[in-house]
Amino acid sequence: MAKQNTVKRPVTQDDIDRCLARAIAEGDIVDFRFLFVPFSPLRADSTEDLQSDKYAYLRPRDEDNALFRDAMRLVSQGKLQRFVQGELEKKGPPQLPSELVLRLADNALRLEKYTAAAQAYELLRVRRRMQEELFRQADEALDRNEIPRAVHGYVAATGLEYDYAAFPEPMPAVPNFQTRALLLHAEYPHRPEDSLPLQAAETQITTALGYLLLSAEAATRLQPRPLEQRLAFIKELVRRRDPDWKQFRERYAQACALVRQFGERLERMARDASAGGKSTLENEIRSQQEQQDPRQVSATLLGREIPNGEWWQYLKDLAYAHPAAVMFVSRQAISKDLEIIMPRYRQDSPLVQTLELIVA
Amino acid sequence: MSEQGYINYFEVLDLPVDCKPGEVRKNYKKLMKDLVIEIAKAAHEGMTDDKRDKYLLDMARLNTAFYILRDNDRRERYVQDRDKVIALEDQWRASVNEQRDDQESLRRAYDAAVRHFLATYMEEYMLEAGRDAECVEASRWDLAHERHASRVLRHYRQRLYNEIHERLPYFQITPPAIDWSERSRTISAILAGM
Repeated sequence: MAKQNTVKRPVTQDDIDRCLARAIAEGDIVDFRFLFVPFSPLRADSTEDLQSDKYAYLRPRDEDNALFRDAMRLVSQGKLQRFVQGELEKKGPPQLPSELVLRLADNALRLEKYTAAAQAYELLRVRRRMQEELFRQADEALDRNEIPRAVHGYVAATGLEYDYAAFPEPMPAVPNFQTRALLLHAEYPHRPEDSLPLQAAETQITTALGYLLLSAEAATRLQPRPLEQRLAFIKELVRRRDPDWKQFRERYAQACALVRQFGERLERMARDASAGGKSTLENEIRSQQEQQDPRQVSATLLGREIPNGEWWQYLKDLAYAHPAAVMFVSRQAISKDLEIIMPRYRQDSPLVQTLELIVA
Repeated sequence: MSEQGYINYFEVLDLPVDCKPGEVRKNYKKLMKDLVIEIAKAAHEGMTDDKRDKYLLDMARLNTAFYILRDNDRRERYVQDRDKVIALEDQWRASVNEQRDDQESLRRAYDAAVRHFLATYMEEYMLEAGRDAECVEASRWDLAHERHASRVLRHYRQRLYNEIHERLPYFQITPPAIDWSERSRTISAILAGM
């Protein structure tokens, strides 16, 4: 079948303004940069048609909001319009107008699109100073005991972090709770006191702050603050990072009940596992008689079963769904070949009480 | 002309550019001995992660300086490459200031040169030096050092790259006019949810 000839509809100044305003209002650095590439549908010499369905995402969907109107006012300035037009007609790599990039970065920060904001501020070479200013204002908020504002500031500041060791180019650091959770539980706790949830309150709080803020440096800034303030900070941070924390709390209580139910059996299995995990005929007969699989504990924590799931798969999924949850679980060997993650906590842990993990 | 960021191994060993290989060896041995004593003291007082990274980097820099400067061919290549990248940065800056047409081609040439310089003299040779018999003997550098050093060196190289990058002409965007009091107000409004 012959290819259908389609004529590209001309791009008007209004089209250019609206597309730029949309990317700026939504803090979308990827789309913004795309609008300037050599094959951009905004370019008159490009064969790409802006009005085609595949570029619908570049056109504004909601023009009735303050950020879009504000961006429209900015891009409609004659000087900027002429500059943008010049870049769209230019051969070779375009130069982006810094006024627009700055507004886009601010909007991305406002909309909590931190990786986009980090990229835009990095282009402007102000990223590190923006981080410092965010930390400064967040610390001031902490001085006034305005916890939600302080947490917002810390989350935004750490969200602007850049990974300069990324390959092949530096890129914004992304929340990688799955990887961090595995590092937290990398060593098998041979003694109860080695397990993360059973450590001293101060250690647990420092670890929790470093892990949840994705930055040990940011956690160190909070070190001199009073214990109550740091606990309130963590509570707000958990609320921010995990809107479904309440559901996890319920499942955690169920998992605890299950562990109590399994109690004697888990203890015996752990004893067998540490003695070399020899499978005796007695054990085999007993495990056939005992219907329930201990992996149910991990599945209950996660809220779903992973077929043939290893402990680390449960841990990674749990960290993705509820980042803070991994602070209150521990690895447990059940047999030579089987490990699970199970709830473990200290009754006197201020962190456990603050996050209302156990109901008295 | 700015040389900041382009590591000067003569300065690392506290030597003039026309130094002799014998002087290179003498200064290296002295500086490495001082460093080893300092590390031993620090280990006695209690080693932190930050200190460990710093000492690892100092050791790697001394080893690399010795490895490059004691060999005439390597030293010559290093001096040439360093001069070339510094000259290219100057040429690109001049081209931008004079609004000439060769800005983009000079930028590309400079970018390739700076990446080559950093990759060769701040990573490749640093790792090679760690396997050199003389360096190993003086610094007791081993596989454990190398394992930790690869991360530290990567960060160091990137930090220097950013140091250089921050003073270069803007090319991906127009030079921004940043008013920091306005920035402070904007951040305040964002944190207030406005």
